[in-house]
Amino acid sequence: MVGLRRNGSLPRMSEVSRDQLRALMGEVLDAQGKSLPDDEGADLQAIGFRSLDFSELALRVEDEIDEELNFDAAGLRQITTVGDVLDLLTEIQRA
Amino acid sequence: MTPDIPGAGNSLVDVRSGTSTTWAGLPEVDLPAPAAVVVASSFAALPAVLRHARRGEELLVVSQGRMEQHLREELLGAGFNLVSDDGLEPAGAPRAAEDHRLWLLTSGSTGRPKRIGHTLESLTTVSGEMAPRRWLCPYSPGTYAWWQVVTLGLAVPGQDLVVVDPADLEGWVPAAIEHEVTAASGTPTFWRQTMMAHGDDLARVPLKQISLGGEPVDQAVLDQLTGLFPGARVSWIYASSEVGASIVVHDGRAGFPIEWLDRDVTGRPRLSVVDDELVISSPHHGEGLEGAVRTGDAVVVENGRVLITGRTSSDEINVGGAKVSAGVVRSVLQEHPEVVWAGVRGRKAPLVGKMVVADVVLRSGETSAPETLADLNRWCQERLPDYGVPRRIKLLDAIPAKETLKSDV
Repeated sequence: MVGLRRNGSLPRMSEVSRDQLRALMGEVLDAQGKSLPDDEGADLQAIGFRSLDFSELALRVEDEIDEELNFDAAGLRQITTVGDVLDLLTEIQRA
Repeated sequence: MTPDIPGAGNSLVDVRSGTSTTWAGLPEVDLPAPAAVVVASSFAALPAVLRHARRGEELLVVSQGRMEQHLREELLGAGFNLVSDDGLEPAGAPRAAEDHRLWLLTSGSTGRPKRIGHTLESLTTVSGEMAPRRWLCPYSPGTYAWWQVVTLGLAVPGQDLVVVDPADLEGWVPAAIEHEVTAASGTPTFWRQTMMAHGDDLARVPLKQISLGGEPVDQAVLDQLTGLFPGARVSWIYASSEVGASIVVHDGRAGFPIEWLDRDVTGRPRLSVVDDELVISSPHHGEGLEGAVRTGDAVVVENGRVLITGRTSSDEINVGGAKVSAGVVRSVLQEHPEVVWAGVRGRKAPLVGKMVVADVVLRSGETSAPETLADLNRWCQERLPDYGVPRRIKLLDAIPAKETLKSDV
């Protein structure tokens, strides 16, 4: 049985996995001459991952799944670590 | 020879059919004024132009490709008799013709095409003695740029035309070599496409005059053309249906000198900048457009030059409150030695609202080139603020262009 998403639509044909999200995040940082630490608790500010980088990562995910992400579905929350970014993007894809 | 038309003896070559004649040798056509002549080729419109030049009867020329149903109904409703290969379709609301009136259709890039009233006189912006030239006419019939080349051929002795249709542009370089074209006018997109596809052959065209217009003209394309044709004059022209040909720059540099702003010279357009938009009062304006006209074109001032960067409606990209000009980003990308064309726009993104993204065509035509992409990223980081660096670059295998020879930039 196929479950519907929160907005009533069918699930996406493809989803970017957490590992793939990590790889994409690494690419975004790499392009800025920075690197992604293994530790998911790493602080975004400390590693230089800024709003523009987050936005770019979101666009990369959208390009992978060929669909626009709906950030309204995630609600307000604080994103301070690498893990927070991965959690948020995973959750939004399923919203 | 027709004595009242200075260029009557100038030669006319139709690349598509191979026809070679002069204005005086064109067949006479019978047109019920006011006539909207719908043509399948650029050359097919010339007899109607000649008739107008002789008789001054009201005329509009439009290419078959632009003739969609809305436009057909609009023209019939506005009292035009439609004349095409299918025959005559009489006006829905007949009216008296307006003597000497010529109508142009705007490109419609900002919506549906608008009709702008001109006369042969207001369209003829070049006159007097000129070195003999054989001009390539690559534009869509009835557009302002097309009329500019056609009126030059009509008004100035020694200015021959080699007419090629936008649909046949792939073959223009061999035709230009064969017919010894010495002057050519086209958009930056047109020149970029040609240099990309036919660079070696293009250098064999004996060009003495190269003109660019119809789109923002950047330094990279001017430099590439100057490099390919060191003996030619490379000029860029700012012209539109509304304000006519208003800016002509021959010094090989993008933009125009800031000293040209707010200067009053009799017979010359007055150029101003209001809220980063180019404003022009032009003697070559269309009917009802006298006085200062907001052009809808965005400008930035850089190193003493006023650069036209694109349409105000699409040029400014707001990235989280920081504003960046798509035209400036496009110029930076196009200055990269591997890039032949770039299109830049804002794309909806979380947190910052819009992000700068780009479509790029590489000299190699490759659509997968990670190393070049990384290099482009570094290139932009060195030349643009953080928020202006395109965060997504898509490589295309060819330059996209519309019938008007403009890219959607």
